[in-house]
Amino acid sequence: MSSVTDETGFTYIGRSSVIVSERDIVVSHSLIVSVGASSQITDEKSLAVDMGLPRRPSTMLSPSRPSSIPTIRPSSSKHRSSRPFSTSSPLSVIPNLLPTQSAKLAALHGRLDLPNKYPLTTLGRALIDPTAEPEHHLNNDGLSNLGNVLLGYYTSEYLMVHYPRLPYEILKTAMNGYIGPRALAAVGTGWGVEAAFAPGETVDPGLLQFNRVAPGTPLYKIKGGVGFNIPRKRNNMVPNFENNPSVDKLLEAETPEMKAAREAQRPGQDATTLELAMASFVRATVAGVYLHSGGLPPTKEFVHAHVLSRKLDIDKLFQFEQPTRELSRLCVREGFQQPIARLEKETGRYSRHAVFIVGVYSGEEKLGEGQGSSLPEAKIKAAISALKGWYLYSPVSAADLPSKTDGKPDLPFTPAVIDVGDIVS
Amino acid sequence: MVVRGLQAVSKAQNGVGAFILQCKRLEFNYCEMSGSSRGMKAFLKTRLATFAKENPGVEIVVSPRPKKHPIIRGSYINKREKVVCVRNLEVLQVLQKAELLRDASGDKIKKINKPVQSLNDSVRGIWSPYHAKGEDVHRV
Repeated sequence: MSSVTDETGFTYIGRSSVIVSERDIVVSHSLIVSVGASSQITDEKSLAVDMGLPRRPSTMLSPSRPSSIPTIRPSSSKHRSSRPFSTSSPLSVIPNLLPTQSAKLAALHGRLDLPNKYPLTTLGRALIDPTAEPEHHLNNDGLSNLGNVLLGYYTSEYLMVHYPRLPYEILKTAMNGYIGPRALAAVGTGWGVEAAFAPGETVDPGLLQFNRVAPGTPLYKIKGGVGFNIPRKRNNMVPNFENNPSVDKLLEAETPEMKAAREAQRPGQDATTLELAMASFVRATVAGVYLHSGGLPPTKEFVHAHVLSRKLDIDKLFQFEQPTRELSRLCVREGFQQPIARLEKETGRYSRHAVFIVGVYSGEEKLGEGQGSSLPEAKIKAAISALKGWYLYSPVSAADLPSKTDGKPDLPFTPAVIDVGDIVS
Repeated sequence: MVVRGLQAVSKAQNGVGAFILQCKRLEFNYCEMSGSSRGMKAFLKTRLATFAKENPGVEIVVSPRPKKHPIIRGSYINKREKVVCVRNLEVLQVLQKAELLRDASGDKIKKINKPVQSLNDSVRGIWSPYHAKGEDVHRV
């Protein structure tokens, strides 16, 4: 671990150790496959900075704030011999300002009402996409993975407890509506995060940095409603070498040119869209809450406040293929009498604007009602209304979310309803 | 017999969970020489530090704007800007203008006729002639 103290008395060992400890925690969640001895890496990196990289001119650090505002920026800065985002790669991001000096970043921290325990360096790192900075320990890749797991956990438990009978397809769609890339990008935009025009060393650490997709690039891969043209490989995530003789053979036969070409295709140098980069930032921010603000309970609070408080109409996510048949199968499965559609009211049968009201009944029980301009339409709508009434059942007395007992196993707990599952024909 | 999901994206309801202040940046411009910036300069010297501390979510920028009247420029999350000229104003009046810009949503000024705006469907539902009872029944 390097500790460097410059002439202003700033010691950078603390900041480095924050980053290192994050990596250790991420590793312990086994989200990142292999991270070497972290302290050694830190040493190498800061050494590389000392030897190779250009010094920043002191004029670049001139404040835009008046001198009356107390800042934590060093008053004189000739050379800084260590940076939190230090790297030996010539293409990587070397911020001119430290994350602790950026007014934009501090304002974002304040706007999100993050606690002081949440360091600005982590928030700054969350803003660096792997496409802008290939070095794994400097970009938000690991944080974003961890945040994705946390977001998935809280969103899925929320949906499953509130709508225990939701079909799996609809559950997936609802998850996508809350924590899919489009939704998370909307969250990030709503936080007032702006993207840098291009990643680079002069970019303010408060801006989202990523490599943009070139205009006119064909979108050959459409996933989740998001057009995305380059498959995103995880950094340092190499193919499974163990028990894979073909990979060994390939590597043995590799010429230096081939190796150079392979390394030139590192994921840090590919491109992404603003939407995906913004979503990745939001996930990384959630991971930062988990790592710095006291574990799972504050993370839950954060996810509920920022993501699950948004409005999503679950009843508008359904698209049925054969609702009448599905309702019939449901009644068989549940032991209800077979559903019968009955015409309840009608008007203008022979006019241009006929209206039919059809109710669908199981014995004496009315399951649903539909209105249409023809009898089949009204009947289908009635079946859909009955099915939605079944699928969208939500317990009146809300059960506890399983995460209630995270860290407090002794709390009283009301379990959720567990449904038998989808209707299978 | 398949239920398919129709893709949808959740909509923001600022303040339902977390509240995000919509003003993200306030830029204070002043002129060193001209008298119309007197109150503004006094504000920058005496009040701005407190104001910035009270509003950690707002990025504060101060820059000279020579030979022009002093202004405050607010930038908002909806990518709009609002500018207020504070020439010849006293310190407290400048503070008032800064607070006005901080509290603004950034939207255009528009008349709001309904007391409540909501994304939720009406709880009562829409009146239907087919379901009315008693005197309201509409024979069809």
